[in-house]
Amino acid sequence: MGAGAPPLSGPPKPQAKALNCPKCGAAITLRSFGQAETVVCGSCHSILDAKDPNLAILQQFEIKTSAIRPLIPLGTRGKLRGTDYEVIGFERRSTKVDGITYCWHEYVLFNPYKGIRYLSEYNGHWNDISICKQLPMADGSSANYLGEIYKHFQTSDADTDFVLGEFPWQVRVGEQAAVTDYVHPPRVLSSEKLDKEVTWSIGEYMYGREVWDAFRLPGAPPQPTGVYENQPSPVTTNVTGVWVTFTAFAVFLLALMAGFDMRAKKEPVLHETYQYHRAESKGETSFVTDVFELTGHTSTVEVKTFAPVSNHWIYLNYALINQDTGQAWDFGREVSYYSGYDSDGSWTEGKRNDAVVIPSVPPGHYYLRIEPEADPSLPNIAYTVDVTHDVPVFGIYGIAFLALLVPVVIISFRAYTFERSRWSESDHPPMELSNMSSSSGDEE
Amino acid sequence: MTQPAANCPNCGAKIVFRWSSSVQTVCEFCKSILVRTDVDLKKVGQVADLPPDSSPIQINTEGKYGNKAFVVVGRILYEYDQGGWNEWHVMMNDGTSAWLSDAQSEYALSWSSKAQNLPAVAQVHVGQQFTWSDQRYTVSVITPAHYRGVEGELPFQYWDKTDVTFVDLRTETGKFATLDYSDPEAALYLGEFVEFDDLKLKNLRSFEGW
Amino acid sequence: MFRKFYLLYGFLTLGTAAFGQYRGWSLDTVNQLKNIPKSIRDNPGSYRSVYGGYHHYTGGK
Repeated sequence: MGAGAPPLSGPPKPQAKALNCPKCGAAITLRSFGQAETVVCGSCHSILDAKDPNLAILQQFEIKTSAIRPLIPLGTRGKLRGTDYEVIGFERRSTKVDGITYCWHEYVLFNPYKGIRYLSEYNGHWNDISICKQLPMADGSSANYLGEIYKHFQTSDADTDFVLGEFPWQVRVGEQAAVTDYVHPPRVLSSEKLDKEVTWSIGEYMYGREVWDAFRLPGAPPQPTGVYENQPSPVTTNVTGVWVTFTAFAVFLLALMAGFDMRAKKEPVLHETYQYHRAESKGETSFVTDVFELTGHTSTVEVKTFAPVSNHWIYLNYALINQDTGQAWDFGREVSYYSGYDSDGSWTEGKRNDAVVIPSVPPGHYYLRIEPEADPSLPNIAYTVDVTHDVPVFGIYGIAFLALLVPVVIISFRAYTFERSRWSESDHPPMELSNMSSSSGDEE
Repeated sequence: MTQPAANCPNCGAKIVFRWSSSVQTVCEFCKSILVRTDVDLKKVGQVADLPPDSSPIQINTEGKYGNKAFVVVGRILYEYDQGGWNEWHVMMNDGTSAWLSDAQSEYALSWSSKAQNLPAVAQVHVGQQFTWSDQRYTVSVITPAHYRGVEGELPFQYWDKTDVTFVDLRTETGKFATLDYSDPEAALYLGEFVEFDDLKLKNLRSFEGW
Repeated sequence: MFRKFYLLYGFLTLGTAAFGQYRGWSLDTVNQLKNIPKSIRDNPGSYRSVYGGYHHYTGGK
């Protein structure tokens, strides 16, 4: 502009307007620079026309319960998504489901450059909401918005019970909107139908702590109860992916099993049948077997005992002794078998076979020292001792499998129970809960 | 950028045209509507006081569309049953003019199209589809509005219109079109929705306390 | 996060299982002793299994 040009004088520089309520004279401040349609007088609860310089009265309402106060006071500024917003309006809405009334609160946020946003709060769960710029595509059970699929969560009627401050629409206490929520945690897509006009909004879950930090509020935010429709799951891992990893590990484990099974020599080194005579046991019952050689690397030794007992037991005190080093492995094994008839039919208990695996036996020359004992009513019995060198131990794989499975089961269970809690509040509760009334209703 | 200077025939104040192709402007001092003829400026009307509005954009706001810079040189205000909106006349740095539509924090930038065979207003209904420039546009809303005022430089003569009908169309890819029935013949503008942040606007209106 | 932990944990588990198989571990409890006198072959009764359980003197004077 050259010198001498008059200053630009378009509409007057916008400033917050201070006016008086036409009904009761209380001071009214308009903070939205002309974007509000209605403003509420906090003293006499009149809803006034914000676009009318005289603030014509549109509605007067009575409040049924006293002390409904916004958790974030009107006029507070906070930073959301990098922009400062001021709280200019507050309303309490409610809905009735199965005879129980649920209330929640909505805050109208304003920035002169970015426009209007909303914050909703229900039972300590917060959502950062804005009006959709593009129309989602919905078909009743799901909706598609910006490439994401949202699942139908709930349809209900929302009543406006109490209002305070400025609103960008013609709000009235007692107005009812048909609200449908679709969720894709952490987001929720809502459609609201009020007087034939449908508005779509998109919300993102916020934790109370984030809201308190954004608005620098004192104290602590209200504790959330229950799981909210779009609350993000604490299990952030992809559970299916973990199961895939588990399956890969299980396959690997099978391969290990096969591999070691092939490597195991399973070499029989002793097979003898001995006779036990009670009559002779007055003297020394211990005896030693022949020496056998264990070749190769340190590995397992399996000792199997078989005795054809019938309602008797025998007990063998074994010691596997290295002829050269004097190392011994000491173990006692019982073989017992009982059977009979009673009122339920025939029964059996015990086994005629026993097997034990001795760990980490180095190669060398070995023999068994055996000291048998038997049931006093058993006069004599023949028993067979089989010693096999280098057998695989399948129990180790069993433990490994369980160790791999347990964390996956725990995390799946946590994710599952969380989702059950989430959907128990919806129009589509999980099966067994459909007859129970919802648990987290409350009246303020 | 040629800046021919002249004087307001009504009050003598200096008038500067930022855009060489401007046909009409408004004297900021006396609010006279001035039309450019070959020789001088002619007063054709008067603008009533503009209503207070909440748009953050003002004349001389600068911004960017893609890699092209622009500056706001004029506007037309409209009102309809749910409020009002602005059509800001912007001058791109390559000398072309475009329109930045500003309604309830939704912004769209569009350019005049020379498409032929545009429908008459009575023939248009919501949901109808048209194809221009290989894009399929669907009518989203028909708005009966009335002209409320002008400010700054415009590329045509425009004042004292009464009722005008606007037909808004959208594509599924965020493109935007308007059929403007200010004149008996329809005028078509093609463009797209833009985000406030992407326009990188500077020299915006200042709001008290912000 | 969990995925990384689980991957590491899984490899450790498999590694331990493989190592155990290789070294001949077993699940049964067996008492291991050293310095058994060589004379047992001649006198099997001189070693009693009960000796394996006590690692302190229990006899009389």
